[in-house]
Amino acid sequence: MQIGFLLIAIVLSVFAARLVQLQGVDPRSYAQMAAQEGQRTVDLPATRGEILDRNGKPMAATVDGRMVVADPKVTKEVAPELATILSERLGVDYFETLRRLRVEGDGGRFQYIARQVPASKAEKVVADIQEEFKDDKGRPFAGLATERDPLRTYPNKTVAANLVGFLGENGKAGEDRAIVGLAGLEDSFNTYLSGKDGEARYEVGAGNQIPLGDNTVTPAVDGKNLTLTIDRDLQYYTQRVLQQTVTKSGGESGIAVIQDTRTGELLALADYPTYDAADPYRYDKGLYRSSALTDVYEPGSVEKVLTISALVDAGLGFKEQRFKVPGQLNRQDRPIGDYWDHGTLKLTLAGILAKSSNVGTVLAADQFKKGQLRGYLTRFGLGARTGLGLGGETRGIVPQGAAWTSQVGDRIAFGQSLSVNAVQMTAAVNTIANGGVRVDPTLVKGAARTDDGTAIGTDVATSRRVISEDAARETMLMMERVVQPSPIGVAPGAQVPGYRVAGKTGTAQRVVDGRYDGSLSVSFAGFAPADDPRFTIYVVVHRPRAGSGGGSVAGPAFAKLMSYTLRRYGVAPSGTKPNQTPVEW
Amino acid sequence: MSATSPLRNRLPYVAPRIAQAALQRARLTVVPRRRTQAPRVPFVTFVSIILLGGVVGLLMFNTSMQQASFRETALQNQATDLGAQQEALEMDLQVLNDPAHVAAAAERLGLVMPTGAGVLHLGSGKISGDPQPATGADRLPLEPPGPRRPAELDPPPVKEKVKAATDGVPATVQ
Repeated sequence: MQIGFLLIAIVLSVFAARLVQLQGVDPRSYAQMAAQEGQRTVDLPATRGEILDRNGKPMAATVDGRMVVADPKVTKEVAPELATILSERLGVDYFETLRRLRVEGDGGRFQYIARQVPASKAEKVVADIQEEFKDDKGRPFAGLATERDPLRTYPNKTVAANLVGFLGENGKAGEDRAIVGLAGLEDSFNTYLSGKDGEARYEVGAGNQIPLGDNTVTPAVDGKNLTLTIDRDLQYYTQRVLQQTVTKSGGESGIAVIQDTRTGELLALADYPTYDAADPYRYDKGLYRSSALTDVYEPGSVEKVLTISALVDAGLGFKEQRFKVPGQLNRQDRPIGDYWDHGTLKLTLAGILAKSSNVGTVLAADQFKKGQLRGYLTRFGLGARTGLGLGGETRGIVPQGAAWTSQVGDRIAFGQSLSVNAVQMTAAVNTIANGGVRVDPTLVKGAARTDDGTAIGTDVATSRRVISEDAARETMLMMERVVQPSPIGVAPGAQVPGYRVAGKTGTAQRVVDGRYDGSLSVSFAGFAPADDPRFTIYVVVHRPRAGSGGGSVAGPAFAKLMSYTLRRYGVAPSGTKPNQTPVEW
Repeated sequence: MSATSPLRNRLPYVAPRIAQAALQRARLTVVPRRRTQAPRVPFVTFVSIILLGGVVGLLMFNTSMQQASFRETALQNQATDLGAQQEALEMDLQVLNDPAHVAAAAERLGLVMPTGAGVLHLGSGKISGDPQPATGADRLPLEPPGPRRPAELDPPPVKEKVKAATDGVPATVQ
């Protein structure tokens, strides 16, 4: 009896000792070992949100991709045969694949063969190979496998590539690299689009989940979709027209912006030259941005509409107001002249705008009090970022304080000595189209937050009155004279047959490295139908061949784009007669 | 008890003490215990059946769960394959939907984008605008320019000065 108790005590002591060893000495490592036995952890990658156009058509989409990986220890024996099949079916380089299939040493158990292959293709190729190279016992070939590798596609390639951007690996080679947005909206909305990865842990037996086993799932939070205000088909057409305009005029680059007058939404924002978002690395890095936002330039005569609308709003001008315009105006530092030689002309304010007279504009702007024009220009949105949500936007410069001398003021009145970006200028001209109320230009429908925390989009866009409705209408009537045939206007090419069009040409010298280098930026901004505007369009061509002007180069492009846009959105001509205010007296 | 209570209360008046005691005795009588021998066999059979049924049921339940798990894995794989196939088809569709592709196909059929269009007002039958037939001159460049060649692939031409041959002496490269 006592011996029995003793035996039980000894056995229990052994158990207790083992218990202390398991629980006391290093419980974690044992727990881990237990967990690893048969437990599987699977990353549940969040699906990246899509970038859609205003009609829900994908501009950037994510599809289920696969990476094909090899175990060289197994593959080296049949490397040449495998490399032939892989290079034929996956389009990978034969010699590089052969090398990877034969790697020895450190990388001897894991080599990438192909990445971001559409899932069905990768699965099919690997399944076929596993079947073809199975061993004597009939087991499938173990040297190749697939792993999840989501694939981002840009089905429209060059269309809106400057806005959408692309994804790529960050960091240097060899480091732990993540796939992030490298340009455009993919970059500035990376967090918004990417979501949060999840994780699933479960126990497996013979490749199947054990029904009542341990099972925890942290679901992935998918990225949100980003819907743009861009109309994909209109964007495509705009890019084509812009390309034709720039190449025909021998220009270096160009920008075209189409804005919905009432809502401020940008329907197209085209840059030329641009790149292919589906294949970005073959293009210059300099093309990855949207020059409509990042590049500033002097707007030239298009700015005159802002000066003149401000004059009308301040009660200092009206369309029939009479001016005697000399051929040259001698001001403090240098004479101001017009682009054409003339003696003293008797022009109305409408005539000054229609013929784009610098001298006349300076004479009219002399009526402003100090700081008055600058106040108007800032309310028009010049000198402030438009906040579209794309990175790298420049604010442009509207001189202030001591920098606004009377000479600078004279030049600013006709669009020199200040710099703008194309979207700012479009929104400013759109203010006149929209009855004097400036609406923020927007690129994103609804509301979304950029990586730097700024909320942007149509839901958070604001509007403000800059000039009175009457002043806006009077300016519109004057702008209608610009597109009349010579000798009244300077841009008959911008006329859209059947519609009333209001617009303004611009020809400005380009500042390169702090001085005018003799090259030009020609532009045309306008809206239609003039008496009930629906769209504002701005076309800029940088560095066209000598002798080009806003009316001859950008005007016809404007007319094509406006005609197409009005047609696409089913806007009927208003049927009223254009304004006939005399340009001379 | 409530039915007898009024009787008991009235007893001192209606019956002598002895009769009362007899009444008490008549109530508390010891009866012999009835011993019955329940048959064991049905009970054991019943318990065995329940146990066996439970074990078999559990086994079948477990088996069916396992089978469902196999089936789930197989269906999951099938769903993944079909999902991948659908995505591949959608990708093809997106490529076909690309405006550049549509424009190129339209141009191959001889279509040209018109520059001016008219509006037919259905109510009045009036036509406004200035419709003009499109001509070949309205054609747009459909292909964007390709990437520029890197400078390394486009080296400046190598110029070498060669002395003119004089007096039968062959030209030499300097």
